[in-house]
Amino acid sequence: MALLLRTLGRQGVCLSKPHYHVLYRHAAPMGTTAKEEMNKFWAKNSRLNRPMSPHITIYKWSIPMMMSITHRGTGVGLSGAISAFAMAALILPGNYTHYLDLIHSLSVGPILIGLAKFGIAFPLSYHTYNGIRHLYWDIGKGFKIPEVYRTGYTVIGLSVVTSLALILM
Amino acid sequence: MAAIVRLSSVCRRGVKPLFYQSTLLVRPVVVLHKEQQPHPLTARIHSSPPLYAGSDSNAASLHWTAERVLSIALLALGPVAYFSPGPVIDYSLAAALTLHGHWGLGQVLTDYVHGDTKVKLASAGLFVLSTVTFAGLCYFNYNDVGICNAIALLWSK
Repeated sequence: MALLLRTLGRQGVCLSKPHYHVLYRHAAPMGTTAKEEMNKFWAKNSRLNRPMSPHITIYKWSIPMMMSITHRGTGVGLSGAISAFAMAALILPGNYTHYLDLIHSLSVGPILIGLAKFGIAFPLSYHTYNGIRHLYWDIGKGFKIPEVYRTGYTVIGLSVVTSLALILM
Repeated sequence: MAAIVRLSSVCRRGVKPLFYQSTLLVRPVVVLHKEQQPHPLTARIHSSPPLYAGSDSNAASLHWTAERVLSIALLALGPVAYFSPGPVIDYSLAAALTLHGHWGLGQVLTDYVHGDTKVKLASAGLFVLSTVTFAGLCYFNYNDVGICNAIALLWSK
């Protein structure tokens, strides 16, 4: 309804000719943007020191929910790792091969090496495959609930398989 | 409450009177029209005032599209980096990875950080982080083995 009034009241729309004004003469534009409205919400509620309503502590967790936050978590984690690597490159003396040899000389067992490789490969694989799933949604496909679950399980399966394959490379 | 009022109105009097209920939309309003509200029963709507230069701005949707284009480009860079590593790929990866991360973390900030000052601080911090990250990666590409070789060496362990 508001959308209809907004469309009619907008400048430049041909319906905004004077004789159409009967359709929206009862509508008046607000002076605030959505962003301002959101800021006002947060300002007021934090000013009144209101606690946040429980949400993630009470809502039943679902696979799509967990996959979504995992996508965000892997993204933040991968980004953090890249930033840490970049800062190390700038700050630490000595070059890359020097530090690699250092790690080599620790003679860490193959299990721990495999674990470390999995720790890198899995977040990367998961974030990549789920990213493709996101792009699939972005073109408007795959929103039916069974499809969401099907593509979700596919992402998880592919991530595990790819990570194992990468470890064995 | 508003939902109950609306439903009962529909049941009793039909849909039309709903359009003229202002009790559902009570909020402070800065009215930019020259004439004052002539009718006591009016609907307040969000409309782009003609004075706003940014009202027709599609910056946000362009940003959205750019994010998806970059994601696809990054997807393509993966296999290319595997099959033909080299300095061009190294620097492209550095740029694509940092920008993708920068925009992604920007969305995280938008979701969880509220209030003008906090948003400004967090955005500034993110900008510094992304700049340092890109600088570090370029330094690594220039003065050291480069990203592709680094991954290859690490994995050959």
